[in-house]
Amino acid sequence: MRLVVDLNKCQGYAQCAFLAPDVFTMHGEESLVYNPRVGPEQREQVARAVAACPVGAIAVEGLREASDAG
Amino acid sequence: MTQAPLLRRITDYANRADPYPLYEELRRTPVLQEEEGGPYAVSSYYDILGLLHDPRISSDAAHLTAPDDDELSEPEATGLPPSFLRLDPPEHDRLRRIANRSFGPPHRPHRIDSLRGELARIVTGLIDGFGDARQIDVVDQFAHPFPVTVICRLLGVPREDEPRFRGWVDLIVAALDPETRQSGDPQFLRTAQEARMQLGMYLAELVEQRAREPRDDMLSDLVADHGPDGAMSTMEVLSTAVLLLIAGHETTVNLIANGMLTLLRHPEFLHRLREDPALSVRIVEELLRYEPPVQLLPQRTCVADIELRGITIPKGSRIWLVLAAGNRDPERFRDPDRFDPDREDLGHLGFGSGIHICFGAPLARLEAQLALTELVRRLDNPRLVEDPPPYRQNAVLRGPRHLRIAVDAVRPSEAVRF
Ligand code: HEM
Ligand code: SF4
Repeated sequence: MRLVVDLNKCQGYAQCAFLAPDVFTMHGEESLVYNPRVGPEQREQVARAVAACPVGAIAVEGLREASDAG
Repeated sequence: MTQAPLLRRITDYANRADPYPLYEELRRTPVLQEEEGGPYAVSSYYDILGLLHDPRISSDAAHLTAPDDDELSEPEATGLPPSFLRLDPPEHDRLRRIANRSFGPPHRPHRIDSLRGELARIVTGLIDGFGDARQIDVVDQFAHPFPVTVICRLLGVPREDEPRFRGWVDLIVAALDPETRQSGDPQFLRTAQEARMQLGMYLAELVEQRAREPRDDMLSDLVADHGPDGAMSTMEVLSTAVLLLIAGHETTVNLIANGMLTLLRHPEFLHRLREDPALSVRIVEELLRYEPPVQLLPQRTCVADIELRGITIPKGSRIWLVLAAGNRDPERFRDPDRFDPDREDLGHLGFGSGIHICFGAPLARLEAQLALTELVRRLDNPRLVEDPPPYRQNAVLRGPRHLRIAVDAVRPSEAVRF
């Protein structure tokens, strides 16, 4: 899966970093760092993070496909 | 016969099972002050969102000018300082940042994620406990004990102490209900203040113990932490612990119970969830819109005059932000009265927004996702015994008091990867 976070939208609420801590990491209070290429084993955590982002900033390519495969 | 004012009908227990037609009526006057000296109720999605991000809106009780405001969190009255829920920046931000160091990223990125296995074990144990029963009360036997066990574990409060703290928690929560407050019984409000003090004193024993012998829990971290913001004072630790203990379960109980009720009323989604646990993510977000456990935020005031839709809300007024009405605002959501987890855009006000956005949201989401998934997978042919179920008294923290269901059988647990 490939993912993109629209950092202009991102408000640094860190919801994603709670729910998928191996993909999204907070550096300091507000800046988000993430791994754009994630393996299928992270699918569920990433799906939770996408739904939890209060500003809908996370876009994922291949999330549904990974879900069908899994 | 003249009708009672709308806000009183909203808080009236008689309308608890279905307040949504009243919210629809409320949205027709999106900024409504019904009674002289009464609150301004704001009910449209974008107005609520705007005010939640507006620095002229305060959560601090000290800004109220209304005379009848008996504040529960007033320091002299309770001996405990207000928690960060009832504070403005910069104090709010300092306390929330310190609390977050024991809870989430960047300091503790894995604390919640690493609880997942334990959450699953607790859920399995509770469902196993239904045994051979053909009738189950989802609230008493599941939706209540689950989040209580989790928040106790996370904070480091002994689970078996619930009988000690239950009475205090119930009184504190009852005092948040506008209907209770409107009755204006000063004796009752004093009793609730007493209860908050007692709960603080009970937690003080535990905090003292953790200061001496730290364990892997939030109370230990809260007393020991010396980050960039320095440490919390002991009193601040206690009011934070009271807040977390109560906020950590009183709402999640309702999300799980509302969730099961809603799935039983919309069996299509119950069946789909049984086949596809990943759907729990969307179901829980839609529940937070459709049946939000926190229906309104009654504790805001404005610290300057605010113009909204041509109305001037004068400085010092009390404001109600009616989240549950905003969540069904047709200006924001198409077909808002339909429960539809497939909707493209799930943005809701269920956790609030802005600086006070729910601190525990990631935990609440995991708890509810797991709870609903396991219930529908393990209960064979669940059906409502009564619809609507009896509700709890509270208009702010709204949810069923009991949720009695009948089942054909309780299936054994199978390992679901969650
Ligand atoms: C379904 C469950 C929950 C719902 C619907 C919910 C809802 C909310 C809402 C609407 C607010 C905003 C209050 C305001 O703006 O005045 C809030 C704040 C808060 N919640 Fe939750 N909550 C839930 C679960 C939890 C849990 C599990 C915890 C603790 C672990 C928690 C801790 C807090 C705290 C500490 C605040 C105050 C935040 C602040 O003032 O900065 N909540 N919650
Ligand atoms: S949850 Fe959304 S807003 Fe928050 S840090 Fe992640 S991407 Fe940014």
